[in-house]
Amino acid sequence: MKGLEKIIICRCEEVDLEEIRQTVSQYGSSARETKLRTRAGMGYCGGRICRPMLDAILKKIMGDKPQDQIPLKIQPPVRPVTLARLGDGLHHDD
Amino acid sequence: MHDVLIIGAGPAGLAAAIACREWELNVLVIDEFPQPGGRLLGQLHQEPSGRWWNGIDEARNLLDKANDLDTKIRCGVSAYHIEKVDHGFKVHTNQGVYEATNLLIATGAAESAVPIPGWTLPGVISIGAAQVMTNVYRVRVGHKGIIVGVNVLSVAIARELQLAGVEVHSMALPALNLVNEEHGHPKKVMDRLLPIAHLAPSAWVRLGRYFARGTWARNLAVRFYPRQGVKIWGIPIHLRKAVTKINGNDQVESVTVCDITPDGDLIPGTEQTISVDFVCIAGGLYPLAELAAVLGCPFRYIEELGGYVPVHNEQMETPLDGLFVAGNITGIENAKVARAQGTLAGLSIVKRMGQVTGELEEMIDDAKERVQREREEAIIQFHPGIQQGRIKMEAVYKKICTT
Amino acid sequence: MMTNRIVNHPVLGKLEERKVIQFTFDGKQFSGCEGDTVASALWANGVKKLRVHEESGQPRGLYCNIGHCFECRVTVNGQPGVRACLTKIEENMVIESGKQLPTPLKTKGPGDHLPRTYAEYATKAETSEEENSRA
Repeated sequence: MKGLEKIIICRCEEVDLEEIRQTVSQYGSSARETKLRTRAGMGYCGGRICRPMLDAILKKIMGDKPQDQIPLKIQPPVRPVTLARLGDGLHHDD
Repeated sequence: MHDVLIIGAGPAGLAAAIACREWELNVLVIDEFPQPGGRLLGQLHQEPSGRWWNGIDEARNLLDKANDLDTKIRCGVSAYHIEKVDHGFKVHTNQGVYEATNLLIATGAAESAVPIPGWTLPGVISIGAAQVMTNVYRVRVGHKGIIVGVNVLSVAIARELQLAGVEVHSMALPALNLVNEEHGHPKKVMDRLLPIAHLAPSAWVRLGRYFARGTWARNLAVRFYPRQGVKIWGIPIHLRKAVTKINGNDQVESVTVCDITPDGDLIPGTEQTISVDFVCIAGGLYPLAELAAVLGCPFRYIEELGGYVPVHNEQMETPLDGLFVAGNITGIENAKVARAQGTLAGLSIVKRMGQVTGELEEMIDDAKERVQREREEAIIQFHPGIQQGRIKMEAVYKKICTT
Repeated sequence: MMTNRIVNHPVLGKLEERKVIQFTFDGKQFSGCEGDTVASALWANGVKKLRVHEESGQPRGLYCNIGHCFECRVTVNGQPGVRACLTKIEENMVIESGKQLPTPLKTKGPGDHLPRTYAEYATKAETSEEENSRA
């Protein structure tokens, strides 16, 4: 009854709970290392949906206590941007 | 160059814009949603006085005031990066770069999820999505559905769906897994429901009487929780049933529900399949603070406020010169608190722009009191310890800014 | 058509008459109301599946409805990656669902290796595309 179906955590990259659990257990990985190994949190939404779940998994397995800094560093851009947009420094001064 | 750029046209952002415009600052408000109002849009509940709180009307009131003051508001603008520059901020958006002396981040909250197998199927939406679809776009989310996750927000929205003629079959917990503990454990859920026990008809109140009497009584209440659920507005709320998976090929067709023990463990042999055409996932809210993080603003984890929150003081200032925050980004509370915080943030910005008058000081004091009053008068508290959370944050700010 | 519209609401009142807007989704003609987003107009028409996951082909649709999750991304008038929930429908808008993409750089276990030449890459891309279309 248990564990027959995948529980997807990161919807963007389709990373499931079991894969993350195994990675964290095997490597004792930090939030950042877990992200890099599994790609959870690296997709289109920038981790906005799975971040609280990843925190919960690390707390549960690694006993991570909330720190003064957000566990997984938030990097710009926080929304997907086209290269064309990044390229032109279109300025508004109105 | 604007005197102030406000990210988020919700209750906090709009109220701040109004305060700044009243002192004739040059203000620009941006929001990525197609219309201003933020998550006021969609809110609909009856207050104890019998009056309906209609978020669409509340948003329109704010917007009318802002428009009377010629406030510039741009929708469909997504900010993706912010830089601190010499005398202010450079905000990068999908519509170009904006510069401002002061920045107010009022980006509200995002929803947390309670993942279960099948939750990526079309037809499974967050509880907030259902609220917007129902009350903003006036589209029925389905004919019959189930809500996974029982909390203050999801109970309120269940009622909104019902008002719109959508059948909410029931509300149940998500099956317990590594991630769902806070939402899948009957005892923990029961504790969190305490703040809404007063909204319910007698059956709930009878159970509610047990809540306050400590762990022993709570455990008893969970243990003898009625199998058929406790009905609120006729909707069965189950604390001893969990949704184990969502089924369907191209979209939701049914859910599998299973009885659970007082500790949330599945009881084998009790599985039941319920046909539904929509499912709502409700895991609560957390402050959406990514833009403050990108700027390097210090953060603290304060559970009572809903998670990681940018450090700020009672005046809504952060330790970064010129950066202000207001609304749910500072902690999960209701829209009235957010609106009052917005006014306060706006006035603090006016002060930073060099206004030194007794009148302004008085207005700031009034605004602070207003925030406090709204907090105390809140009918629904998202976290019972909100006040302690605010005190913790004030202490953190003082510590950071004196060292 | 548009049977999911909440016309009468006990508190919000009767829905005002709004201009009808025509658009297409994957070549099929639909109509929505002025003020609708792509997501709300499609949902009102009973369309919930908006794309498939680029790699796995699993069906996906609207999730958060306020621009946070990007699950509802579709192609609008030729522009891919547009959030259906934040985009207002316009007359004659052409909307396409998100499709599965080839994954030539994905290895299939121990015996498989990454393409080392362009020729190998092209072959893998072709096979992957064939597999997708079969699935």
